[in-house]
Amino acid sequence: MVKTKTKIEEEIQAIFNSDKPWVTIVWDDPVNLMTYVTYVFMELFGYSKERATELMLKVHNDGKAVVSTGSREEMEHDVARLHEFGLWATLQRGDQAL
Amino acid sequence: MGNSATWRPGTMNEESGFIRHGNNAFVAQFSESEREVLINLAGQIIELLSERSDHADEDPLAAMVGITTHDSPPDDEVLLRLLPNAYADGVDAAEFRRYTESVLRNKKKAHAMSMRVLLKSAQDGAIELDHDNANAWLGAINDIRLALGVRLNVQERSHDELELLAPDDPLRGVYAVYSWLGWLQESLLQALMDDSPNEVN
Repeated sequence: MVKTKTKIEEEIQAIFNSDKPWVTIVWDDPVNLMTYVTYVFMELFGYSKERATELMLKVHNDGKAVVSTGSREEMEHDVARLHEFGLWATLQRGDQAL
Repeated sequence: MGNSATWRPGTMNEESGFIRHGNNAFVAQFSESEREVLINLAGQIIELLSERSDHADEDPLAAMVGITTHDSPPDDEVLLRLLPNAYADGVDAAEFRRYTESVLRNKKKAHAMSMRVLLKSAQDGAIELDHDNANAWLGAINDIRLALGVRLNVQERSHDELELLAPDDPLRGVYAVYSWLGWLQESLLQALMDDSPNEVN
């Protein structure tokens, strides 16, 4: 019950905290090729090759990177599409520690 | 991230690989053995994803709108990599999985089927893809690499270690295919990005 209550409180808080968006995080993976990850960012998000490459390198060097921000629904959509192409992605609140 | 530099010609036909023809055509010529390997691997991915099909006794209405009875992550390591959790939090991950996993499985199956059907109909090994087909192939090749990567334990082993597998080690052949697929995927990516409007060169 405590868990449920916490979740409801979180949900309500989220509704009033629209300035704190959700984020999609891509995690480094030893299998996915660098070119492939760059291409997927360009295809799915319409990012320029430059921006996509920058994000890919951030994933590669730091182990993870925020690749998009928005509402929870939008981020769930992004994560689903990244999973479709085999990238290792999760979503979380933007104000949570990575 | 991985790189495709470890593949060396010799294991597979070094002439193959994708090149761009005009605006929206990406062509490759596969040998009979390459074609067979790809058809077989795509089939295995389809089979693996189908094993985790929705329970027959589930609510047909729920099934129709894509809700599945699966809300816990797959036990199989390969399936878990293909169908990962979307949230670190277990409750959120289960909820998300319940509403999206069957859609994800079907999309992955569609990618693999697209590759398999084209290869099966191309008995001379000549393949021509448009942009959409190319994306399906990239996804399918990637899923196969992810699956082989789990079996090869790429997470723990370095490429040098995998390069030095003994000739009689059964994983050696798996690694050869894994590397070749990386090279094939890279060639398709290069062909696709060749004419990208964002290309600097």
